[in-house]
Amino acid sequence: MSRYILQRLIHTVLVILGISVISFTFMHLSGDPVGLILPQDATHEQIEALRREMRLDDPIYVQYMRFLTSALQGDLGTSIYTREPVVRLIQERMPATLELALAALFLSLIVAIPIGVLAAVKRGSWLDTISMTFALFGLSMPHFWLGIMFIMVFSVQLGWLPTSGRGTLAQLVMPSLALGLSLIALFARLTRSAMLEVLGQDYVRTARAKGVSEVMVVGKHALRNALIPLVTAVGMEFGFLLGGAVIIETVFAWPGVGRLVVQSILDRDYPVVQAAVMMLAIVFVSVNLIVDLLYAWLDPNISIKGGSK
Amino acid sequence: MSIFKSWATAAIAVLALAGGSVSALAEAKTLVVVQSGEPVGLDAMQNNLQHSLNVAFNIQDRLFDPLEDGGVAPGLAESWDFPNDTTLVVRLKPGLTFHNGEPVNAESVRFSFERLMDPDLASPHAGRMSQIESVKVVDDLTVEFLTKAPFAPILHLMSYYLPIVPPVATAAAEKDAFNRMPIGAGPYKFESWERGGDVVLAAFDGYWGGAPEYEKVIFRTIPEESARVAAFVTGEADIIEGVSVRSQQTIEKSGKGTLTDSMGVMPYVGLNTLEGPFTDQRVRQAVNYGVNRALIKKALFNDRGLLAAGPISPRTFGANLELEPYAYDVEKAKALLAEAGYPDGFETTLAYPTNMTQIQEQAQAIAADLELIGVRAKLEPLDRSVMWEKYKGREHEMYIYWWDDNPEPDRYVYSLFHSNSRDYYYKNPETDAALDNGRSTIDRDKRAVIYSEIDRAMYEEAPWLYLYIIPETYAVSPKVDFVGRRDGFLFVRFAKPNGA
Repeated sequence: MSRYILQRLIHTVLVILGISVISFTFMHLSGDPVGLILPQDATHEQIEALRREMRLDDPIYVQYMRFLTSALQGDLGTSIYTREPVVRLIQERMPATLELALAALFLSLIVAIPIGVLAAVKRGSWLDTISMTFALFGLSMPHFWLGIMFIMVFSVQLGWLPTSGRGTLAQLVMPSLALGLSLIALFARLTRSAMLEVLGQDYVRTARAKGVSEVMVVGKHALRNALIPLVTAVGMEFGFLLGGAVIIETVFAWPGVGRLVVQSILDRDYPVVQAAVMMLAIVFVSVNLIVDLLYAWLDPNISIKGGSK
Repeated sequence: MSIFKSWATAAIAVLALAGGSVSALAEAKTLVVVQSGEPVGLDAMQNNLQHSLNVAFNIQDRLFDPLEDGGVAPGLAESWDFPNDTTLVVRLKPGLTFHNGEPVNAESVRFSFERLMDPDLASPHAGRMSQIESVKVVDDLTVEFLTKAPFAPILHLMSYYLPIVPPVATAAAEKDAFNRMPIGAGPYKFESWERGGDVVLAAFDGYWGGAPEYEKVIFRTIPEESARVAAFVTGEADIIEGVSVRSQQTIEKSGKGTLTDSMGVMPYVGLNTLEGPFTDQRVRQAVNYGVNRALIKKALFNDRGLLAAGPISPRTFGANLELEPYAYDVEKAKALLAEAGYPDGFETTLAYPTNMTQIQEQAQAIAADLELIGVRAKLEPLDRSVMWEKYKGREHEMYIYWWDDNPEPDRYVYSLFHSNSRDYYYKNPETDAALDNGRSTIDRDKRAVIYSEIDRAMYEEAPWLYLYIIPETYAVSPKVDFVGRRDGFLFVRFAKPNGA
């Protein structure tokens, strides 16, 4: 087990390092921010002076090493525009992103699990067909489109919910639903197939044969075991939610990290983009790591397999 | 029991009514402005992005108040004069204070100028103020500015880019903290800013023009246009910025507001006059005759905006209004090309930055027109920073760029055509001399004549393919009286509740 943990840790560090190289290179290859920082009427002397001052005229690997050295000392740099430490800018936005991701996750789980269970128990019935068709719709609809449609229907036509912003529960409804809908679909399908598999197991048959009530069979014996694959999916999806929130945050003007990243990419605010990508990557990879370890702990078979690789 | 119930009901009704009327009253005094991009900072000295300055200019006032025609009116200054061409003496209004109570005096003006020029602050406006050599405090309310050479645009530039800040509070704050919570002497005080969310400003009683009509102004950001328009249509927003042609129709049809034009942008097709086919003036004129700019403007921009004849926008002071925009004339264009030695036309490239409004459609329309006269332009859509790199590297043959439709001609004509500023695609000693003359002539009428001549010369020389000026459009709620400004900034003190 400890060898497995060590392996996974090394793996995690390598992934984070790889991401830092890739994001750094791409961001820098896409052009320098000086032309955007200075006003239109700046002369070329002023432009070149600022480039030198920002040390953008160094070769890219020198710039990367500089970034890495200070990053390892906990300094991810300063925003080009606000001149504030980027870590602070991201920390400010993190609660909003987490709130949205957790709300979407919560919403999707409370809807998806009952749907999945019902669909599995009533397999082949109209209920199964309807819920699985709905699930397919949910999976295929783009977040962006869904978000706009929600605004058009619930804010503009019906006037029930505010169009955007953060602060009240009413403002959380549409973005979390738009973000969570595809998850409902995913989790419902996952629950259904896991339930179907479990319901066919010997111990379920035994429980039924012993005369345990159907509610107990499904709710206790089957569901508990069917939830194990769901744990992995939730862990993975949570990472995607943090990243996928970029679009939803933009549509609903949600003040999260995603929107900060989009704005900073447009402004070529390298340090912010770089740090945000790194922090999202670290969260993503850490969640993955935790899920893997949790899974290994839940099911010892996995750690043995992992360890023998 | 029933008596008690009816009393309770009545009490609740009264409470509800009272609550309702109070909130309605508060609402009437609050203005919600929604922008498409987020401010990155609120200290006008440290920021140049429009979305930041739109907020910051309401907080930090300047010596002069900018006028629509590029001139200036008194701001914090009461009066001013030029004892000679390089000296500007400014007298401040007496008794003014900043939001924190510090006095607005000559010392604060000197402090503000020195802060702006401090390399440590790296103000984007330092270049704009670089003509000022020194600032001297004459007495408590009088300041003297010395310029290196006679520099006519100085008043205009100072009316935007030299915000006056309180010395004690500013010096005591870290620059990033001041950028978050700025102090000034403008019509609105900074109240709060939840990053990514609302910036809240409150009316300042001590403003020289009196407290503004709205007690509270909320600046909000909604990047996605359809969501922004939805917020407007539902009444959540009173003024929204960034309304494209498509949404303009939605808003007009909804009956929920009106449109107002603000400063426009002046897109143009730059031509490389230093290498290749566009070194020949006839070729440059040919492409000017070869594009149906009037039709493009009509088809893509609902016919809002103006046609450009030369480089100076027809609304700008100094524009030569006798000039007629190049007519659309395919035959003439072909004849000029043949004369220049290109009877069968030629292949070229047309680069453009993808962040411009409706740029794809514009570029396609321009290229399609040019094809008809034999100029086969390959389209090169580029990300804005890549575009900029290539622009500086003189890698373009034809390129679409834009400039703000600015009320001061020196701001753009000098920046784009003087070889001291940018000489990537054009260089002409005669133009340089005329531009130098334009900026060093203090007398406004004489200046107008100089720019009018520059406009004519550039019309004929045709270093650009001139296009049009497209306004930036805002939507305004019927509850609000607000007209977009020529300079494009949201000075919200001019907004009033309708009927007030």
